Amino acid sequence: MKGKICIVVLLLLCLTMLSGCWSKKELTDLAFVIAVGIDKTKEGQYVTTYQVVNPGNVAGAKQIGGGASGVPISIFISTGDNLFEASRKASKKMSRLLYFAHTNLVVIGEGMAREGIGGLLDVLERSNQFRTTAKVIIAHHHSAEEVLKVLTPIDKISANQIIKTLEFSERTWGQTINTDVWKMIHDIASSGKHPVASGVDLIGSVEKGQRLTNVQVSEPDARLNLDDLALFKDDKLVSWVSGEAARGVLWVLDKIKQTGVTIEWNGKKEAVGYKVIRTKTEVVPHLKHGKPSISIDIRAEGDIAEAPVPIDLADVKQVFALEKMIQHNIKKEVLEAVKKAQQEKIDVFGFGDAVYRSYPEEWKKMENKWHEHFFPQLPVTVTVDAFIRRTGLRNKPYQFGR
Amino acid sequence: MLFQWALRKKHRQKPEKRETVVPGRDQSGKAQDISQEPLHPQLEANIDMIRRTTGNSTDIVIRRVMVGQEGQHRAAVIFVDGLVDEMHVSRFLLEPLLEASFPPSFSAKETFFYIEKNLAAVGSMKQVSQWFEIFLELMSGSTIILLEDVPLALSASTKGGDYRSVEEPQSQLAIRGPRDGFTESLRTNTALIRRRIKNPNLWLETMRIGEVTQTDVAIMYIKGIVNDKIVKEVKTRLGRIKIDSVLESGYVEQLIEDQTFTTFPTIYHTERPDIVAANLLEGRVAIFIEGTPFVLVAPALFIQFFQAVEDYYARFDIATALRFLRVLVFFISLVAPAIYIAGTTFHQEMIPTLLVISIAAQREAVPFPAFVEALVMEVTFEILREAGVRLPRPIGQAVSIVGALVIGQAAVEAGFVSSAMVIVVSITAIASFATPSFAIAISARLIRFALMFLAAMFGFYGIIMGILAMAIHLCSLRTFGVPYMSPLAPFIPSNIGDTLFRVPTWAFKERPRLINQKNISRQGENLRPQPPDPARQDEGDPS
Repeated sequence: MKGKICIVVLLLLCLTMLSGCWSKKELTDLAFVIAVGIDKTKEGQYVTTYQVVNPGNVAGAKQIGGGASGVPISIFISTGDNLFEASRKASKKMSRLLYFAHTNLVVIGEGMAREGIGGLLDVLERSNQFRTTAKVIIAHHHSAEEVLKVLTPIDKISANQIIKTLEFSERTWGQTINTDVWKMIHDIASSGKHPVASGVDLIGSVEKGQRLTNVQVSEPDARLNLDDLALFKDDKLVSWVSGEAARGVLWVLDKIKQTGVTIEWNGKKEAVGYKVIRTKTEVVPHLKHGKPSISIDIRAEGDIAEAPVPIDLADVKQVFALEKMIQHNIKKEVLEAVKKAQQEKIDVFGFGDAVYRSYPEEWKKMENKWHEHFFPQLPVTVTVDAFIRRTGLRNKPYQFGR
Repeated sequence: MLFQWALRKKHRQKPEKRETVVPGRDQSGKAQDISQEPLHPQLEANIDMIRRTTGNSTDIVIRRVMVGQEGQHRAAVIFVDGLVDEMHVSRFLLEPLLEASFPPSFSAKETFFYIEKNLAAVGSMKQVSQWFEIFLELMSGSTIILLEDVPLALSASTKGGDYRSVEEPQSQLAIRGPRDGFTESLRTNTALIRRRIKNPNLWLETMRIGEVTQTDVAIMYIKGIVNDKIVKEVKTRLGRIKIDSVLESGYVEQLIEDQTFTTFPTIYHTERPDIVAANLLEGRVAIFIEGTPFVLVAPALFIQFFQAVEDYYARFDIATALRFLRVLVFFISLVAPAIYIAGTTFHQEMIPTLLVISIAAQREAVPFPAFVEALVMEVTFEILREAGVRLPRPIGQAVSIVGALVIGQAAVEAGFVSSAMVIVVSITAIASFATPSFAIAISARLIRFALMFLAAMFGFYGIIMGILAMAIHLCSLRTFGVPYMSPLAPFIPSNIGDTLFRVPTWAFKERPRLINQKNISRQGENLRPQPPDPARQDEGDPS
């Protein structure tokens, strides 16, 4: 009897001990891919670039076994007919397993984006390791590979540098947009909206940028710089918008959190700085006799940040006049963006979605002709209500008497 | 000369039928049989008997005296040196005996009764005639008086001798609360409770357990509050004990607990009289054992091990916050290393990116898998703790310094373990120290290793399986018939106020329900403090 129990216990132990641990992976066996870059060769093959963290060299890691003297990231490049093949092929060059659960950034080369990104997002969405919350950015003027090679100073891992720049720039300046894989997929699949993503440019030479010396000087030889917005038509990159028109896109998308608007005063250009601290945009579609129109209502609230011109901010009339100017400026930005989009026939604002939400029945008739017919001719009215909440710690500028 | 120490029979129930008696094998655990036999009339024969039975032990003092008008009666005063209060013996027994003027022409017997009635100035005095009784009295610190020609003995209660005085308890400290703790003397301990609960309903029953040691064991409860079924159960279980010795309450605890094969304690032990008093007032039974400052309290519920004594002295919000902290701390001490193992070997995606990179960087030079690393560190820590507990205090400090250097610094610098692991081990250690009851902290220590194995094999899945199994086990436990997890499972809403939370004192309306308890009302209604009524204040204001 006792012997039998012993055997049963032994078998149970075997069952757990031998079958357990099958999915075990030690940290030292994993290569944490922090960013993936995707380009395409002329032959139509995918070139994937993996930015892998080199844990021993990341700042903050204790200086055991090596020390933080090397580069914090390492680049592995692999080609394949599809992304999955490329990722498996990369194992020939790598001593560790590629691990995608911490991939937070997808960089898409401009050439690739112009050809269409539809197919490549599928593997990202399908994989059980990859997260669709990873940010998407388009390499402007460069390939994704080149962008990922650059070493960055403050955030040692350049993917983190890009992600944080995306986040904070959208929040404080509002000319770039923080898009993730999920949002891209959603917009590509949607019939009433086109995707939009930020571009990243490389200033300086890649050759110098990928060396450690790049982060050993106070002004790096190569820098990553977020710039224009990439406007997509379905899954293909069509054009770029920059500057105030780019911010106009974000105004419409209600993505602006804080930004700075510069206004003209008494004939002096770029005179008063207005710091937007709170804003809300509402896009309301209307339908009259089967013809859609859109009204955009923006409410902004902010402070005076800078006023080096003769202005008395204690005077309500002058403040009202200032508010008028601000409203005019914002309206101009928005209209510029709308005009550009209508020219290109790219509905990045999701006006189509707005119409669909309000008039689902009528939308079915418009759906097929929306981008070609309705959107380019869509009457858009913009109303801006800007409000100066505070004037800063001073009323009259010091240059102009007390 | 085979006498029997038959007293045990008084408190023992009839032996159960399934007990098989192996002939020729002594099963009672007693040292030497002393059969029942009355005293001999001759004094010398009796003294000789005592001498022989005790093997001429040098601490037995036999003082021969002559008593009576002309000192015609030979007598002996016998006591055990150290067990009696010697001042007491000489002042109130020997002095009156030697200096008294006996009425003339008293016979030996008359003198004997005269001594009992008129001379001995001690609290308790009784006649004994059987040898086993005499020895029991003698060994318990009484003084025996024997008289020539009288086959009877007088036993005077002169218990005394040196005991540790009432000191602050070492094992359960409190910042606020009484400073007295139990001692090794059973009588002092019961008095500490009596002093707190001045009520005739506080009942005390005494028995002797241990064939050789004859240890006094007392059970205490408040009649009317306690559930009689539990008292009966405690008595039955105590009566069933048949053991040679009881040197500490742990002996009794392990013999009467419901379930041996569990790491969780089902009987509470404490050194603090205020805890015992509070438990008695909640309807529990306390078991005092001579020779140990640890008093057992039964039945003990799981949640009781998280209730520190100060919870009831501090205000309720603070007490509640600390309760939450303690439950959290218990879980940390249970699962922290297991989570580290599971996270780093199975679920790297669940750790925030920067943290996983930082941990990976630390583990870069570590030659062991995470599980081995964790196991080595945990075992090292347990060794250190064990060393620290057993060593004399001055050396203990040296151990902790060496330990801190070895685990904390050298191991990390040598690259044997990662510093993240050191943090996990230290958090676990601190957490297990922060658990108010050592008894439950030690069970968490044991379960922690099982969870580490499960985590190494199945990851978080294994940890959850382990915790579920533990929860099922906890719910299956009973302590003297009361479900161990009550009032959480079964859920008793009116008692939930003293579990994870501690409601304000005025809201403690009911005692914990321990099987069909009837007297559950603890306090009056509307005890909530109210601001003075302004109208009434005006009336009553004398100024």
